[in-house]
Amino acid sequence: MTDGPDAGSNLLPGLAAVGLFLVMVLAFAGASFPAPQGFGGDANVTASIGYAMFDIGNLGDVGAEGFLAAFLIVAIVLDVAIDGAVFLAKREEGGSVVTALTDGGRDLLDRSREGPNAPRSERGRDAPRREGGDE
Amino acid sequence: MVPAQWYLMLSAAIFCIGLFGILTRRNALLFLMSVELMLNAANVNFIAFSLQWGNVTGQTFALFTMALAAAEVAIGIGIILVLYRNFRDTDVTKATTMRW
Repeated sequence: MTDGPDAGSNLLPGLAAVGLFLVMVLAFAGASFPAPQGFGGDANVTASIGYAMFDIGNLGDVGAEGFLAAFLIVAIVLDVAIDGAVFLAKREEGGSVVTALTDGGRDLLDRSREGPNAPRSERGRDAPRREGGDE
Repeated sequence: MVPAQWYLMLSAAIFCIGLFGILTRRNALLFLMSVELMLNAANVNFIAFSLQWGNVTGQTFALFTMALAAAEVAIGIGIILVLYRNFRDTDVTKATTMRW
């Protein structure tokens, strides 16, 4: 375990967090806001979010800005993130990827070499786990 | 309708719980969860002020924040995986060297 009970070392961070919370609560309690405007009883908020996300005119019941550029940028960021995650997660042994391409613990590379009707490899789910293996 | 102050206080509470987690936890997974708590505190604020001003810009922006949080988690889990592979532990204080 990396997070054992250690009340002494948690005291200062706990006080800091509670202190920050109290400061924020005092600031918010002293602030004044007008009554919430809300969206109206029959406004379709979900459709309005969709129109705002794709920047489609003023079709929504509730006003909003256009977010088409942000939508495209976030799409690219998510694409980069999944590429980065696969890059970080893969492991190579002998020049070939061994852990990014798996099917429920079975190596797809082994299966493709053996053919579709071949029995499961010894790393398969139905095979006993090897002692000391790090798969 | 609930005044905006209550939403702000809820957001502050969630943010401070996340801050406490970041300051005290050493497990990288709990670290990541604490960062997510702080991000979601910001989302509560976005949605509260969306309701406050009768405009869905805040709600739309909160959706983008969630997408960025997902990207962050994808990379974070990858980093934790590499951390565990190299150091046999997810304790962030153990990783004192950087290597390829």
